[in-house]
This record gives sequence, C-alpha cells and structure tokens, in this order.
Amino acid sequence: MTKRLLEAKQVTAAYHTPDGREVRAVDNVSVFVNEGEILGCAGESGCGKSTLGNVLALTARPPLYPISGTLNIDGQVLELGQNNKVPRTWRGSVVSMLPQGALNSLSPTAKIRGLVVDVLKSHGTKLSKDECLDLARDRMKNLGLPTRALDSYPHQLSGGMKQRVITVISTLLNPRLLIADEPTSALDVSSQRALVEMLREMLNQDIMKGVIFITHDLPLLKTISDRVAIMYAGQIVEVANSEDIAERPRHPYSKALLNAVLAPEEDTLAKRVEGIKGSPPSLAKPPSGCRFHPRCGLAMDICTQVMPRAQGNELQFAKCHWSQQHPHEPIRIEDVLRRNDEIEAPVLIKKEA
Amino acid sequence: MGLGRYLLRKALWYIAALFVALLLNFLLPRLIPGNPVDALVGKLAQGGAGSDQLQTIYEHYVKEFGLDKPMWEQFLVYLQNTFTGNLGTSFMQYPASVNKLIGDALPWSLAIQLPAVIIGWLVGNLLGAVAAFKGGWFDRGAFVGSLFLSSMPYYCLAILLLFGFAVWQPVFPQGRAYSIGLTPEFSMPFFMDAISYWWLPFWSLVLIFIGGQAVGMRSMAIYELGSDYVNYGRGLGMRDSQMVRYIFRNAMLPQITGLALSLGGLVGGALITELVFNYPGMGSLLFTAISANDYPVIQAITLIITVTVLVANFAVEVLYGLIDPRIRATQGGDKS
Repeated sequence: MTKRLLEAKQVTAAYHTPDGREVRAVDNVSVFVNEGEILGCAGESGCGKSTLGNVLALTARPPLYPISGTLNIDGQVLELGQNNKVPRTWRGSVVSMLPQGALNSLSPTAKIRGLVVDVLKSHGTKLSKDECLDLARDRMKNLGLPTRALDSYPHQLSGGMKQRVITVISTLLNPRLLIADEPTSALDVSSQRALVEMLREMLNQDIMKGVIFITHDLPLLKTISDRVAIMYAGQIVEVANSEDIAERPRHPYSKALLNAVLAPEEDTLAKRVEGIKGSPPSLAKPPSGCRFHPRCGLAMDICTQVMPRAQGNELQFAKCHWSQQHPHEPIRIEDVLRRNDEIEAPVLIKKEA
Repeated sequence: MGLGRYLLRKALWYIAALFVALLLNFLLPRLIPGNPVDALVGKLAQGGAGSDQLQTIYEHYVKEFGLDKPMWEQFLVYLQNTFTGNLGTSFMQYPASVNKLIGDALPWSLAIQLPAVIIGWLVGNLLGAVAAFKGGWFDRGAFVGSLFLSSMPYYCLAILLLFGFAVWQPVFPQGRAYSIGLTPEFSMPFFMDAISYWWLPFWSLVLIFIGGQAVGMRSMAIYELGSDYVNYGRGLGMRDSQMVRYIFRNAMLPQITGLALSLGGLVGGALITELVFNYPGMGSLLFTAISANDYPVIQAITLIITVTVLVANFAVEVLYGLIDPRIRATQGGDKS
C-alpha cells in the first residue's frame, strides 16, 4: 500500500484586480500525490497551473491570495486562507519550489555557495559554513554535477547547469514535496533529459518524496510523470496515469490538447494536426456548467448548465457529462473539434479600419 | 589575474583622459575674450599712473606671467609646473600663489559638502530602501517628500533656508563662514563660531541630496523586490533580513556611481550655495576668478575637479568590479 504524500483539498485561490474584483485562477481544486510519485500538470497558458503551483509551494503573494482549502503534506496540516500565516520554515523544508532557472532565480552578484549557506542557515541549521558546503558538495557529487559550480557566479554557468544547480539548492533541506514550475521550458532537449533523470534519481535517493511537475511540454510529461493532471480554466478536468491519458483520455479537452502535439511515430506524417479554436475563457467570468462547453463538439444541453462531477477515484478521474454517459466509448477527435467552424478565432490584433 | 588586468586597462584609459583634460584646461580659459593683464593694468590706470609707467608695468606683467611666449611653450611650462605641484600665481590677487588661495578655500567647501554628501547618501539610500520594503503610508510619505526635495533647485532651498532661519527667525547668522574679526585657527571658540555659520549651507545641500538618493534607491529596490531571485528565496524559506542583503547588493550598483560623482565634484564647491551664503569656498573662488579672467586660478580649480572626478570614477570602477562579478568578467576578459 503506497503512502499518501500530499492531500490538497478544495483549494481556491484568487487574484485581486486593481478595480476590486476577484479572479479565481484556481477554483476548488483537489490534488493528491502518493509517495515516490511524479504528478504532471498540464494545460494551456492561463489555465491556472502556475497559480496552483504557487499556492501549493506556499509562495502565493499579492495580488494572489489563497482563499480556502486544506493542505496535508506528509501528515503536516495547513488551512489555507487569506489571513492564515504560513510558517516560514515550511517553505524549502516541507514543500519547496523549483523555478525556471533561465529566469533570474539566482542573484547575479552572489556566488552559489553563499545561497547554499543562507538557505541552510535560514532553517536554523547547526552546521558550520564549511559543513553546509560539504553537504551541498556531497549532494552534487552523488548526482554527478561538478562541485566547482559552488564557487561560481550564476553568469558563469550554462543554462542547463544553472537549472541543475537550482534543483540541488531547492532540495537541500530534503523537502517532502517539490513543486517544479516549468523547469525545463528554456532548456534544450539534452539538458531537459539530464534534469528529468536527475529528478528521478533524487526520488530514488529519497531526497524528496514526491514531485508536482508543471509544464506545457506534453511529450515530456509522458516520459517523466506517473500520473498527469490536465487543467482547464482554473480546474482539473482529468487526472489519469500517463499512458492512459495518452491513449484513452476521458475528457474531450485532454483529447484535443494531446491531439495538438506531434509525436514522432509511424503515422505522424499522415496525421493532420488541428487545434481547438478559440481561447480559454476569462476566469473573471467563467462559463456556466462545464467550463469547456463553449469550445466542445460533444457539448450537450446539460453541459451548459450543470458542472460535471468527477467520475472515478481521487487519483484518476474525469469531469465530463459525455464520458459519464458513454463510459466505454473512446472520445474521437473529430467529434471534439466539430464546432471549430462556428467558433471564431480570437482576434489578437485589431486592425484599424 | 582577472581583477589586475581589469584595473590596468582602466588605469590606462584614465591617464589618457587626464591628458586630454589638461589640454582643454589650458586652452579654454585662454579662449575667453580679453587679456587679464589689460584688466590689471586698467585698474592701475584709474589710480592715476602715467602712460609710460603703465607700458612698463604692462610689459613686466606679461613677462612675469609668461604671456609673451608662444602658446605651445606656455603649455609646456604649464605642464611642468603642474607636475611639480606649482599651480602658479594669481593674476588678480598678485602675488598670492594659487596653491595658497586654494588651500584657504578648499577646507570650507569640504566642510559643508563632505558631510552633506556622505550623510545624505547613507540616509537617502536607507530611506529609499526602507520605503520600498515597507510600502504603505510610510512609502507614500517618504516618496512624495523625497520627490519634492529632489526636484527643487538647490539654490531655492538655500534661499528659503536663509530667509527662514537667518532673516525671519534669526536662529543662525546670515552668510560668511565665521564672524568678522576672527581668524581661522584650530581652537574651540573658533570652531563653535564657525559651526553656527555651517548649519544652513549644510542643510540646504543634505536635504536635496537625501531626496535624490531616496527616490533612486526606492525605485531600484522596488524593481529588485519583484525579481525572480527574491521570489525564489522566499520559496526556499529564507529570512527577510537575508533577502534584503541580496536586494541591497544589486540595488546599490547605480547608487555607488552617484556617490562617487558627488564626491568627485565636491572640491569644485557647491557654487551657488556658496554664493548664496557668501561662503568662502572653492565655488566662490572659482566664480570671482572667472569674472576676472584669472587664468591660473581657473585652471587650477578645473584641474583639481578633473583629477578628483577621474579618481572618483576610477574608484567606482574598482568597486563595481568588486561588487558585480559580471563586469569584472567582461572587462577583464575572464571567462571561466
């Protein structure tokens, strides 16, 4: 029996807009992660996946406010709320974040070793400076990284190396859960592979117990994650094992999203790639019922009125009326995209008449 | 190795700049229309000297100051004197040496400006950083106040202070640096007398400086606060005090330039401030010298300004190299 690592229940978080409104970028989302598991999280831009990552990594800051929900990470419980203080030392040790390293996640004027010492010291370590560095050095050796990176400034490291060094720093305190927010987005494929292998190796070495991997790189998700959660308009619409979701998605959005990806397989040449027309709805005014219904070819009357309930268990489910009514029928992409002709493509640039 | 080569390259550039500055220094005052000896002799003529005498005196002065020699020879003499530390003789206050005139004026300029620049820089940066970090009403108050001070012309504040605290409410004496009848000396009574004259020019400079530095530091710090490494540091559970260290080191870079340039410029005197308060510093000296075509004094002061600005800039480059490793790397060709 595998142990449950993360239970995040009914998490809601919103951005406060300058005109005083609340935009719920994460709406009533529950996420579960087992020990030793990598949960992938995918979706279009603006679907709330990074917001969910920030809330779970406890790094939400204005204008983003967690509104409600419960986090249980390896037995440690936290109620989320706008005024609930997060214990500072939870960040980095209970749950840690792994940002995209190509961004300026490292201060340009500080050596890596300084950050290593500061991170350990801020969590009240009794280790001396040298012992802190020894710890980091051992870690890097175990993961096959050159230890001279410790004595470097960020600009002296390559993008891939910077990302791997950041990964080591993020996990220095052996966090139970690591939230990786698009760590591979700016890397070339070989660096991506090195990073993914390193994450697996760290799970094996029990440095951390579970990972939530946020990305929009679907082929990568298939290789790295055990389960995949697909998000749409602030909600998780489907969670499934990564093979299942690739072969038998139970939500039309998952089907359409995966269909938009070219995988180098035998029939790729013959395949016609078509995306879903339109764009995700504004989260300030989400559609009624199923949030995907305005773009879905399978939409029925009920979809416009009633929000579908999750079908399955908490580790694998889909929220779709059609799937519920056709439990054994695979979703056909032509059906999902049936309405492409009636949906107007979003006008991104308005032309002056 | 990296740092050494970086410094050597920089030093060579500064020496080249110094030579160009010396040449301009020599030429520019001589381009001002009018001959200083004419003015000098003109004054004597009012005293009722005969024309023959005037002619002799004129020739004597021209010879004395070396103005009969060709330009290039004058320049060589100038160079030689400069490098032996002899700044020449003043035309207008003949036979006073320029070295002595500057020696008398410089301490007064430094006395009001050095504390103003250093205290203003420290207080201003602290205020700006704290305002950025705290936000809210403190930030709004500090920001508006600083913006007001920094955009006010410094002589306006000087005049307002002079009017407010020396004329309307005579808390401080009006103008000069010490009471008439005293001679500058290192003694307690003289110091106590001079300090009462010192407050107003000091405040008029320091307030403006605080405002400018606070506005700059605030926006730098706000920018740094929103940066990725601050987010990441928070995500790793680092303390605020630790984050502030990282933010400061990055936000400080442009501020250091401001400090160095102010330090370099301060020997030139706060010209208008000194005029407003009738303070006997370098600014006043330069002002009278320019209106009298007193080449040696003008040259000497501009030379000193040039040298101190160059030295200050060089110091900035060294500091930058120490603080920002990226600059060291690109300038020194060090790509490890």
